[in-house]
Amino acid sequence: KSCQTGKISTTETAVQSYTSQDASVQTDQSKDAVQDFQQEVQVDYSSLLAFLRKVEDAVIKELNKNWKSRAFDGFEVNWTDQNETVLCLHTLSYPEAQDQNLQVTSVSWNATGSVVACSYGRLDGGDWSTEKSYVCTWNLDRRGLNPQRPDLVVDVPSSVMCLAFHPSQPSLIAGGLFSGELVVWDTSRTEDPVIWRTGLTDDTHSDPVYQVNWLPDAKHRNHARLLSVSTDGKILVWREARDGRLALAEGFAMMAQQIPRSTQLKKFAWGEAAVGVTSLSFSHFDPRMFIVGVEGGYSLKCSTAAETLALQRTGSSVPLRAPAELAFSPHGGPVYSVSCSPFHRQVLNLFLSCGTDGQVHLHSILQTQPLVSLQLSKKYLFCVRWSPVRPLVFAAASGEGNCNKCFCFTGDVHLFDFEKSSQKPALSIKQAVGECPVYCVEFNIKQTQLLAAGDATGTVKVWQLSSDFTEQGPREMIHLEQLASEITD
Amino acid sequence: GIPIRTTLDNSTTVQYAGLLHQLTMKARSTVRDIDPQNDLTFLRIRSKKHEIMIAPDKEYLLIVIQNPCE
Repeated sequence: KSCQTGKISTTETAVQSYTSQDASVQTDQSKDAVQDFQQEVQVDYSSLLAFLRKVEDAVIKELNKNWKSRAFDGFEVNWTDQNETVLCLHTLSYPEAQDQNLQVTSVSWNATGSVVACSYGRLDGGDWSTEKSYVCTWNLDRRGLNPQRPDLVVDVPSSVMCLAFHPSQPSLIAGGLFSGELVVWDTSRTEDPVIWRTGLTDDTHSDPVYQVNWLPDAKHRNHARLLSVSTDGKILVWREARDGRLALAEGFAMMAQQIPRSTQLKKFAWGEAAVGVTSLSFSHFDPRMFIVGVEGGYSLKCSTAAETLALQRTGSSVPLRAPAELAFSPHGGPVYSVSCSPFHRQVLNLFLSCGTDGQVHLHSILQTQPLVSLQLSKKYLFCVRWSPVRPLVFAAASGEGNCNKCFCFTGDVHLFDFEKSSQKPALSIKQAVGECPVYCVEFNIKQTQLLAAGDATGTVKVWQLSSDFTEQGPREMIHLEQLASEITD
Repeated sequence: GIPIRTTLDNSTTVQYAGLLHQLTMKARSTVRDIDPQNDLTFLRIRSKKHEIMIAPDKEYLLIVIQNPCE
């Protein structure tokens, strides 16, 4: 057995400084680099050495006793009231949008976790839609919250397909439209909330934007960049330019013949088509690595540091690059959502993908075959998200599909817990009675017991999860690592 | 407390040093308030994820964080 220990020696003097010294102390290999600090305080090394010698035996004895001890096995303390049930806290909707039969295409929580926004549009419209749509926000912490009256309603001339709140500025929200444009709204402005837009230029996407993400800008800390993903095969990064315009900073294009195929996968006849990208998720530990899901059913590992140029014909102001590095084993239908696990250690790089085949695949980025392949339901899965607090939990939104030869539309939010079962969901929440596929789910990062789900009837339900979904167990990370290291044939 | 030597990163070290120094002082005064002839010799804090052990002294503090493997 081995123990991981870290040692810190401290003095009790009132000077702010940091000194590093080389006393002969029994420690494990110190991993941090020696840092040069200005020495403003003199440490009496001989007395320090005397101190360390004095306590060394006692501490080593305690350390040894500890890892042999079984005193605390199974000992758990409950600090919070255990919440046993899953409740629907709020049922939010915008009646005008519902009258127009609009569906909730995307939900997003803001940086403080108190405001939820949803976008109304249509996910089943196949043609160029010129229907007006709406972006609505509700502040759940306000008293006098009226679930039928959003705090803010923004009219949008085209269908909004995806939303993302800014990760640190609570009032900025970006949306991707059916027309391929991106718009950023500032919800604190009472006049015109639009502050940035891409407009329709040669650079804009030619297909609907299915996902929009905020990227931290390494060079200018106050400015974030926007990333958009569309079925025209392009992944574009936008920066703020003058006059409220968003200009293209860099971009990537997925072309079929540039996707690396490992010999273990069946060969597909890709042709020269652009590969439609439906979803994207950034790795939480390597900011240049991201996973995309495409219409062909593949998930691909990509890098922003890719240098090869994409072979695409349409011109754009910034040269587009081909980012794909590895293709993972495909689903039996288009991939609608990918999500990278926020829990990581050195060798633990996991992500989930889901699609129309009703399956969720758990992949390690190190191998093409999935670690676990779950047939969650017979219906399409529209969205999958890892829990921000429990490494073994994820949520998936299901909807239309064929079950028992009849086309059924009931939508569920499935909560899966690898700790409890690796075959079936720990909990399936029925969003509503009747026909309504659930199109999107988002966990609230600040208030981790909340989960928002938007469905086809135009309703957003905020669910409060029970305590077993919000409290991390003592050995979850170890279980996750064990799961990740199992290799499937 | 001012860190002299550490195997963790800078910011975590500073955080642990400050918080645990205060806690150690409080623990010590608790022990002495109950019995003035007594004094603190060792402090252990067990949490869900690991155990923190503190060996106190007049001038120095040794803090060890252990991940007990069960």
